[in-house]
Amino acid sequence: MSAVTVNERTSAPAERDLRFTRVLRSEWIKQWSLRSSAITLGATLAVMILFGVVSSLSATGSVETTGPGGGGGDPFSGSGDPLATVLAGANFGVLIVSVFGVLAGAREYGSGMIRSTMAAVPARLPVLWAKVAVLVSTLLVVAVLGVFVAYFAGNAILSSADAATAQWSDEGVVRALLGNVAYLVGLGVIGLALGLILRSIGGGLGTLIGGILFLPTLASALLPDTWDSALKYLPSNAAQSFTAVAAPETLLSAGQGAVVFALWLVVAVAGAAVAIRVRDV
Amino acid sequence: MLEIVELTKRYGDVTAVDGVTFRVRPGVVTGFLGPNGAGKSTTMRMILGLDKPTSGSALVNGRPYVDSRAPMRELGVLLDARNVDKGRSARNHLRALGATVGIGRTRVEDLLELVGLSDVADKSAGSFSLGMGQRLGIATALLGDPSVVMLDEPVNGLDPDGIQWIRGLLKDLAAEGRTVFVSSHLMSEMELTAEHLVVIGRGRIIADMSMDDFIASASPDRVRVVSPEAVRLREPLLALAKSVTSAEAQVLEVEGVPASIIGDLAAELGVRLHELTSISASLEEAFMELTRESVQYHGAASGHATIDGARA
Ligand SMILES: Nc1ncnc2c1ncn2[C@@H]1O[C@H](COP(=O)(O)OP(=O)(O)OP(=O)(O)O)[C@@H](O)[C@H]1O
Ligand SMILES: [Mg+2]
Repeated sequence: MSAVTVNERTSAPAERDLRFTRVLRSEWIKQWSLRSSAITLGATLAVMILFGVVSSLSATGSVETTGPGGGGGDPFSGSGDPLATVLAGANFGVLIVSVFGVLAGAREYGSGMIRSTMAAVPARLPVLWAKVAVLVSTLLVVAVLGVFVAYFAGNAILSSADAATAQWSDEGVVRALLGNVAYLVGLGVIGLALGLILRSIGGGLGTLIGGILFLPTLASALLPDTWDSALKYLPSNAAQSFTAVAAPETLLSAGQGAVVFALWLVVAVAGAAVAIRVRDV
Repeated sequence: MLEIVELTKRYGDVTAVDGVTFRVRPGVVTGFLGPNGAGKSTTMRMILGLDKPTSGSALVNGRPYVDSRAPMRELGVLLDARNVDKGRSARNHLRALGATVGIGRTRVEDLLELVGLSDVADKSAGSFSLGMGQRLGIATALLGDPSVVMLDEPVNGLDPDGIQWIRGLLKDLAAEGRTVFVSSHLMSEMELTAEHLVVIGRGRIIADMSMDDFIASASPDRVRVVSPEAVRLREPLLALAKSVTSAEAQVLEVEGVPASIIGDLAAELGVRLHELTSISASLEEAFMELTRESVQYHGAASGHATIDGARA
């Protein structure tokens, strides 16, 4: 077909060894060579910043967001907590980040690519660690940008209208900002783990979004109050204790919440590690 | 070098591979033949460590593939050309996989050129035709310049030009001293490329021998003799041959006597010969003969076939 030969002329044999940094690079190339990655991450950023800005404008009365039905269920009408107002987009960010994480885990099982990947990295686990590392570093940048740009932009809007702002020095504000970053990144990783365990985009998304968004609301509505002491350990309720400036009394303290959420994360990733090791690809 | 020892894989009740033992040596193309569902792909997945054997072991260059220090350098594989993320370009697919062992852009470009995909390297792999996908799979297999090349039905979907090319490629790879292990259920294909054969049926090894031995063992050589005086040859040949059949008056088919002896005999007797042809059994026939009992999924003989839900 051409003069090209199959032979590659490399000198030292070790030049073609498998190394973790190389697997990391492989996963990095994989992530950025799919156009959907940049689109999804860009959308996360845009949603978090734009919703924060709109929500802040609406809180200062600069924008009328009340539709015909009145302001009752309006997501932009802040609860009076200025941090919640400027971070109004985080709730949507959480959704998109969940999708991104699940896709990062389940996509290769859907396409069959996982067999090519594990044939190249037969030790298997380096692939998991590399996927986690790439996802964490990417989401960290997106979450930090999204949360802090929304915070500063929203605060600027609020203060220009002489409305109450969430001052950097106010108690719990910095913690809540960092908490939101951690929650976004953590959810993405839990999504990744679920995608790898369930090997299905639909299954992973259903489990994560059902468990994060609907289960807490549904359970607290249906179950008697005595269950509340258990429900606060659900990932989203645990996270609420450190993502809000002042969480309701019924929830864990910020520190406890962080530990519980971290445990969920560790359990999910450990589950993925076991699934990857034990099961046939 | 591949060494497969007592390899067994059960999926629930199904024993896909059943105590298989064989070696694949470097320097020759080894064909891995068997009818549908015989266990070829399962064996290959176990060699790769993708499926864990129920028992037994598979060694690549003397150790389990899982322990390989430079996997892509050691074993290059094409399992299923569809094992790619559809949204990624061919070039980035190769870059991503190659990156695991530090393979860079130059090598990726070389491989794209080798398999003839340079012009479509930026197209998404999902848009590829079967044959283009197959070429990408072959590029993936050769990316690490591996000492063992293992391809599961590589000619699948290739056009005649592509088939021609891969035949040459496989022989070249073997000539360079690599171990080349290629599965197929197309006997006619293996006949042209493989020097050694491992035949599997219902998960068990039926034959493990050179191509020549395989053909000889499965079906004896026959000689076709055309002579206006065929009747005069018939009697003396019957004394020597396993069988002599005659479909037409002037034609004899002799089994078990080489053409040279028949020719000499005719000369001695002064019998005129118009034709003397050795007919060796085709590999296709030999294979069908050998695997007759182990073919699981027969096509229906008539148009009255019913689909009984099992597998088609
Ligand atoms: N993951 C699996 N789960 C259950 N059964 C399986 C699995 N993989 C293969 N089998 C069964 O194992 C047997 C061998 O299948 P395999 O794919 O190895 O055959 P093959 O020789 O590659 O066939 P073909 O020529 O059709 O590709 C078949 O009966 C198949 O149904
Ligand atoms: Mg197969």
